[in-house]
Amino acid sequence: MTTPMLDITGNVCPMTFVMVRLGLQKIAPSGKLTVRLKEEALKNVISSLKAGGHRVTNVSRGGTIFLLEVEKTSGETA
Amino acid sequence: MSGADDMELKKGGMMRQAEAGLFSVRLHVVGGRLATPQLRAIRNAADRYGRGEIHLTSRQGVEIPHVAQGSLAALKEFLSPSGVGVGVCGPTVRTVTACQGCRVCPSGVIDSPELAEAVDRELYGTPVPHKFKIGISGCVNNCMKAEENDVGIKGWVEPRWEGPACAFCGVCEAVCPTKAISTSGDGRALIVDPTPCIGCGDCVTSCPTGSMREESRGYRVFAGGKFGRRPFLGRRILGMLRTKEEATAAILAVRDFFRVHGKSRERFGDTLERTGFPALETFVKGGVKRP
Repeated sequence: MTTPMLDITGNVCPMTFVMVRLGLQKIAPSGKLTVRLKEEALKNVISSLKAGGHRVTNVSRGGTIFLLEVEKTSGETA
Repeated sequence: MSGADDMELKKGGMMRQAEAGLFSVRLHVVGGRLATPQLRAIRNAADRYGRGEIHLTSRQGVEIPHVAQGSLAALKEFLSPSGVGVGVCGPTVRTVTACQGCRVCPSGVIDSPELAEAVDRELYGTPVPHKFKIGISGCVNNCMKAEENDVGIKGWVEPRWEGPACAFCGVCEAVCPTKAISTSGDGRALIVDPTPCIGCGDCVTSCPTGSMREESRGYRVFAGGKFGRRPFLGRRILGMLRTKEEATAAILAVRDFFRVHGKSRERFGDTLERTGFPALETFVKGGVKRP
């Protein structure tokens, strides 16, 4: 199954965080989501993911655009 | 009333107003914190002895304007049971300003109000060559503008890189606002340069693998700043201090240096232009007993 991709390069904080949260709501616990984001959104998005108990399992970049592979915490139901 | 009387009243926090016979009474407030019974007492005092006005100052202070000279003693007595004292002005250590610190603010690294109380107990109102202002910011977001004070403090996070789990993903380097993180020549380690590092901890917060860790958190000291007619920013001195006691001792030592080397009517930044910062650092290190 392909990992769904969420592109938030067109969003600014706090919508970056909101979009990621909504994206995670659409996938099953322990499921994966790839987030495409700009460099300036890294800090807030990663820190909010960590605070929610999710894991960033891989990071890759092309210039100032980053791809985060996120594993949804099994405890997240909403 | 003589100029000397005026000066004595001013030192006691009672500033003569433009309107003859009236004073604006400065109150003793630490870090902008007042309990509600104190606020009620201040309100009642302003109604009874002033014109029902309260002025919030630019440095978290409170003043009751329009108080007649004959009412100054009564006003002081009226406020006393609430624990609100009258403030200071003139060549003294002034109001210690502080943010809400780590007990309230999610960004807070240190307990700013606690340090402000400790410093206030030791220094408030003590005589110095010229006004001496202290400001305490709980983190490097610096809401209390540490560098605008004669001595300022910022809460600080010191990062440390641990190799084994690091994926070299580049996130810490990308989020670092001062580009203090770089990859070693052989590509097998990350180096945090402490000189440009501003202690924000963004690298720690953002690291996906937990490889960038918080080594410690503490207090950084800035000295010689001021605003007013000729503003200049204070400069960072010393290494990071790890305890409230060390930070208090450092502030005390900076004040003592000013007492020894400052001239009357000379702001601390001007004293430092004469003495240089190394002399201050040497002096303060003796007081703090840390490298």
